[in-house]
Order: sequence, then structure tokens, then C-alpha cells
Amino acid sequence: MIFRKKKREADPGAEEASGLFLFDQVPDALWAERVLKAAGYEHALVAPPHHLRAGCDLAVAVPRVEQVGAARALEEAGVPVRGWVDDPGSASRPTDLVTVVDFGEHLMVRAGNMKIAVDKVTRTIVNTSGGGCPDIPYLNVELVGKRLDEAPRPKALGYTLCGLMLDRAFEEACALLGVGER
Amino acid sequence: MTLLVVATYPVVGGPVLLGPATLAADGDLFVGGAPVPHAQGTAAMLGAACAALRHLGCEQPWALVAGDVGRGDGTRAVFAALPDALERVQPSVVAFHYLQPIMALMREAVATVERLVPHATLVADAGGMYAAKAAGLAPRFELMTPDVGEVGFLADPEVTHPAYVSRYLFGTGGFDPAELARLAHERGGAARTLIVKGEVDCIVREGEVVARVAEPVVPALEAIGGTGDTLTGLASAFLAAGFPTVDAAVCAARANREAGRAMRATPAMRARDLVAALPEVLRENLCTWSGACAATEAV
Repeated sequence: MIFRKKKREADPGAEEASGLFLFDQVPDALWAERVLKAAGYEHALVAPPHHLRAGCDLAVAVPRVEQVGAARALEEAGVPVRGWVDDPGSASRPTDLVTVVDFGEHLMVRAGNMKIAVDKVTRTIVNTSGGGCPDIPYLNVELVGKRLDEAPRPKALGYTLCGLMLDRAFEEACALLGVGER
Repeated sequence: MTLLVVATYPVVGGPVLLGPATLAADGDLFVGGAPVPHAQGTAAMLGAACAALRHLGCEQPWALVAGDVGRGDGTRAVFAALPDALERVQPSVVAFHYLQPIMALMREAVATVERLVPHATLVADAGGMYAAKAAGLAPRFELMTPDVGEVGFLADPEVTHPAYVSRYLFGTGGFDPAELARLAHERGGAARTLIVKGEVDCIVREGEVVARVAEPVVPALEAIGGTGDTLTGLASAFLAAGFPTVDAAVCAARANREAGRAMRATPAMRARDLVAALPEVLRENLCTWSGACAATEAV
């Protein structure tokens, strides 16, 4: 078994104070991430502080100093933002631990509680497993049987943190099997 | 003695379905006569529960499900329909499975179950387990079935979803599922009984490991979507059939592994292959696995 930690993009909380954009739904947070990435803002997907959580919420951290510009980018893109928190306190990030199991013909990549299994020769996704949110059986139906280079990214179809973790496993499987960035 | 499974199925806008779950000869699954697509998740759980209850000659499980692909719409519809379903079905076991983990809805649902069917046994897995733990309701459940990627979540009082577990995660140094199950119990994050699904399945009662199931070894089961769900379905069915909880857990773990061996599991197979192997596995083994099994079959 191989253990590795995914390289982080720049962490806005590491060197300067950050705040959080809050959202009512995980897909909105993922949408905001795409908008901020395209606009060149440092950002990170994180869990909101405990007292602000309703379930499997996701927030986006950006440096406080860039809040105004980032908020404008989100507004112009039409992303529904629930609010802004200046001091995120106990915000935490989804785990970045990835493990790999080699079954011979198949490779299984595990990211947190999510797993993807791929045929090493054809690069076909033969299974997804783990997780407990309702988008996971849907992603199973949509991904299994497709090659890594033709399958949709789990985070483009999914709605929850389980979908996001499956995307991390997908991304790692692509890297391990030499499939270019999707 | 009826099992009611409360969950979702992966169809955009799929309607609320309430009715007995039935497994056709070709392995297709129906709820109240309507087809439910095969995938990992609730279909796998219900398929295994159907196989087990049919083998034991018990009433087929009931299901309250709605279409949900992660937006939470089906989850909300299911919770809205729960009071009527409970009054109609009067279940002895209620199992919460693939649901959007929304703490407020789970709090209301558990309160409703305790009001309308106070003697019902509560089971949770998947999103139902995430919501129950995050909402601080885990000790009110009789059985939860975390895998090695989820037991650290139950043990960590600060997190509301397994994705945020940075400590206690499988793959980190010193990972010990039995110790995490003990911690989860101590911190109020666990049901009274846990089946920690892994290389060795640990059955934990009130924080103490009471059984381990390690044979047969079928590593490919972890890669097959839905094989944890089939285990949950088996355990829920055995509970509904009257098995003591630990016996239900042990028999479920054994049957799941034995079915994996019988189907000659590879990572490319499906949970429905495992469900198809269950009738023979149960016929050949269930009576010998525990006194409770034999007693139940003799009834």
C-alpha cells in the first residue's frame, strides 16, 4: 500500500489572516472555488466553524485583505453567497491523505472515506465505493465503465463532500496512471 | 417484526416510494412495485435484506425512499413522509441509510420515531450515520456500521463529516479501529453496537470489542461499491428477525465475507453479484454460525 499526501495549493491561512465565504449548499462552494480559481485568488475549501455548520457544509477561505474583490467576482458570476465570516476560528480542511492498493489488474485509490478502482491497462473505472451521501450512488452509475480520460470529474457532477473526496481519489488515479489533467 | 429502511435512490426527481422491497429472480429490485436502479447504496442494502429475510421466512423489508442525487431534495421529501410511514408500517427496526446528512432533519426524525414507535430499534449507516453522529444522537442508536474510513469520524467530537477527519484516519500511524471504537463510545459518537468494517471486521458493544470476523479474507470487497451496504442490510434484517444485536452483527459479517468468496470477488464486480450469492451462503451456513440463528430458523 502506498501512502501519500496531496500537495496543497497556496494556503491563504498560512501566512496571513483569512476569512470565510459561507454557502447554503456544497455545490455553491464548489462553484465559488472555480470562480475564484479562474480569477486568480488564493483560496481553500474548508469546513465552517462548528457553530455555523448545518451538516456537511463547505466554505471557501480567502485572505481577508482580498475579500472585497473576491466577493465582487462571486457576485458577478452569480454565485449565491450566504455570508462572510472575518474570524473563522475552528475552520478545518478536508483531509488530504490518499492511500493506494494494488490488486494486480486493478488499482484502488482511497481518499478519506472514498475509493475508486481502475483497470490498470484500459484505464477504465471499474468501481467506486465508500461514502454515504446521496450523490455517491449517482456518481457510481455515471462513472463506472468509463475511462479516466472520458469520464466526467466527480466534482463536476457531485454535490457533497463525499463527491469532493471521490474527486481527489479520481485525480490521484489519473496522476498514477498517466492520464493528463482533466 | 418489520424492517423499515429510510433512504434515497440515485434518480433525479425520483418520486417518494413507500412499500415492501422485493428482489426479482433476475436480481432487479422493486419498492412498492416500482423499479429502483442498481448501484452501491440503498439498493445493495435492500437487496441483501430481502435475501436474508426471505431465507428466514420473515416479512420482506419495507422502504421509504425518494430520488436524490446529492441536492437533498429527496432526503427532505423522505423525512417529510416519515411520520405517515411509521404509523402505517409500525416497524420494529428503522434503518437510516443514504441520506443527505442534515442534522436538524435527523434530530426531528429520531424524535418522531421515538414518539410514534418507541420500541423500534434504530440503525444507521452512510449519510444517516453521519447526520446522527454530527447531531449528537449516536448513543440513541442500537447499531452503526462504519468502515475504517469512518470510525475515526465517529471518534472525533469536533467533525461533522468524515472528509474533515485529519486525525485517527486509516493510513496514519497507529491507526487502531478497536481503540477508535472505544473512543467513539466514550465521547458519545457511537451507537451501542458498531460493526467496524475492514480487513478484520470488529464488532464492538458499548466500547468493548466482543467479536472479530477475519475469515474468509476477500480484499477485493473493499473496492466493490455497495459491499458495506450489503453487510448493513444483512445485519438490519437479522435484527428485524429477532437476533440479538451482536449475533446479528457477527452473522452479517460472516455472510458478507462468505458471499464474497463464493462469487470469487474481483474489484470489477458489483454488489448485486454478492446479493445473488447470499441465498446459498445463508442456506449452507446460517444455522451453524450461532445458537440464535438456529433458534430463529427453528421457529
